[in-house]
Amino acid sequence: MQIQVFLGTGGVGKTSLASATALQAALRGERCLVLAIDPALRLRTALGMAPGVSQQKVDLTEYAASGELWAALMDVRASLDRAVRLYGKPAQAQRILDHPIYHTLIASLAGMQELMAIERLDQAINEGFGTIVIDTAPTRHALEFLDKPEYFVQLVSSPIVRLVGRAYRLWERTPLASLSRATLEVYARVEALLGTTLVRQILDFYSVFFTIAEGYAQRARRTAARLRDPRTTGFAIVTTPFKAVRDTAFFAHELEARKFPVRSVTVNRIWPAVEVELPPDAPPPIAETLRWYHDVSRAQRRAWEQLRADYAGRIPNVMQVPELPRDVDGVAALYQLAQHLEPR
Amino acid sequence: MTGSGLPTTDRPARLPIVVFCGKGGVGKTTLSLALGLGYARSGRSVVVVSSQPLPDLAMTVSLERIRAEDPAAAANLMVTYIDAREILAAMFERQFPSTYVARKVLTSSIYKSLIEIAPGLKEIAFLSRLRELADTRLQPAGGAIDALIWDAPATGHFLETLNVTRKFEMYLSGPFAQTGRELQQYFSERANLLLIPVTTLEEMAVEETVELWRTLEHGLRIHPAGIACNLVSPMLQASAEATLNADTLTGLPPREAADLAFVLDRHRIERDELDTLRSSLPGPFHLVRRVPQWSSDLELLSAVSAQLTIATATPG
Repeated sequence: MQIQVFLGTGGVGKTSLASATALQAALRGERCLVLAIDPALRLRTALGMAPGVSQQKVDLTEYAASGELWAALMDVRASLDRAVRLYGKPAQAQRILDHPIYHTLIASLAGMQELMAIERLDQAINEGFGTIVIDTAPTRHALEFLDKPEYFVQLVSSPIVRLVGRAYRLWERTPLASLSRATLEVYARVEALLGTTLVRQILDFYSVFFTIAEGYAQRARRTAARLRDPRTTGFAIVTTPFKAVRDTAFFAHELEARKFPVRSVTVNRIWPAVEVELPPDAPPPIAETLRWYHDVSRAQRRAWEQLRADYAGRIPNVMQVPELPRDVDGVAALYQLAQHLEPR
Repeated sequence: MTGSGLPTTDRPARLPIVVFCGKGGVGKTTLSLALGLGYARSGRSVVVVSSQPLPDLAMTVSLERIRAEDPAAAANLMVTYIDAREILAAMFERQFPSTYVARKVLTSSIYKSLIEIAPGLKEIAFLSRLRELADTRLQPAGGAIDALIWDAPATGHFLETLNVTRKFEMYLSGPFAQTGRELQQYFSERANLLLIPVTTLEEMAVEETVELWRTLEHGLRIHPAGIACNLVSPMLQASAEATLNADTLTGLPPREAADLAFVLDRHRIERDELDTLRSSLPGPFHLVRRVPQWSSDLELLSAVSAQLTIATATPG
């Protein structure tokens, strides 16, 4: 089983490259899944998924593929519900699913998306795919999908949250008993600051949720370990010419700091050279436009050359992909893009 | 940098906060800093609120170098990041009778866990601070600021931030529900915000921009002041008679013909996407040309700043 994680900032063509890479693997005969953990739904148009469907097999009959290509969009709600049912006892699970703050948490807790990504990946691994390609959120914060589970593990396994949960229950049942005065005082202050309802709802929720979170944390740790193993996982950085040097420095540094294996960097959307000899009577705006294209393109190529020089030997594959005529849409366009990718 | 209604010597009663929002990678940070630089050069004191912590921002733009290359403008230009955790702590500290108790509560694990977990708290704190900064513009005392620019986070998080004021009111109680209500009102007041969605002329970005505009207007009752189309080619601004088409240049050698075909294709995409925007949204549309090359951040920002004619008059 192989996992490839695509990272990059917005608008660099991450989804297209991730999908084309998965398509390439499917054409080679593998059973392959491309999983988007970003809600931007770009994958839906790229691979022609039906509306409302969160996982679907892509029709490749035209390409005589010996393997299979599946596309999936992460549904945070479904993944969280699944985790609750999977890790909790039935009564516990029901109490959580019915809790008023459960819905608020899903809707507004920044990071729930990232938290559930690991859970969703785990599910995909269990479904027996040979290659899993992950399309992350289009920001520099995409790495939170890797940080959060561990943050969550720490949070959940710290005695504090347990204490908080238990403290609340004791507070309710036997006021002022068995808790130190100092703890109660601090707790009362916090309640006054944030509002009683808010604090009690959260504590109540967490006092039930933390038992479930332990199950989640255990599996998340295992999955995170898999993502650190260079035999199974490779991280692919995607960027565009003008962002190349800075994006690559950023992601390479962040990945190395977390001990994740960087496999490639791809500079996408490089323009052709645009060297058109104009007749002397060409209208000035046209001459200016062509000169502008030429200048932009030359600057892009310089950026690519610099990146290649900087990372030769540091990242195993430093690659470029040209700008294709239209925004890549549909399997046909991905097939075309896949032809520009270096074979693995 | 011109525009009616810009502050001169007398401070007007109210200046909107200029907000650049939109998809990731369309150039919000560049436009924010370029506008800020333009203001700073004309002698106004400007605060740009970055959506990235300053060490992250430094990977995109070197403020140090700008300071070294144009110290006069840099003296008027302050770039800041609002750390919601610090703001929350500061808000709470004021409510405590002694710093000892404050420190004890604010360093307690219960507090630290809760502010991470409680939905929307950090967003509320951020907006409160932004509003506070906006209010300091009205103070006549020295050190007050003339212009405030918010380099907003990418669409999803931006909407979440604005939306949180409502959510708070709906689901939760406590001292923050009241703050949420006030903020909601403040940020939907036309005179308080000059909101400019930024887009590139590419299919995905344009689709997202149209959706963003509609969400702002119908969902949040906030009215954007116009659209900035960033990174356009000079052809888009050229006059109609100079239209570039396949007949413009004939008899080119194949390699050059292929290059020309590429340019024509890019040009058609730009045209089509601008048409889509024009038929979907009221505008006005501000075209900002891509700077083809630059040798320093200051040079890039100056070149962009020179193009920003975005009217910063108080919207009507």
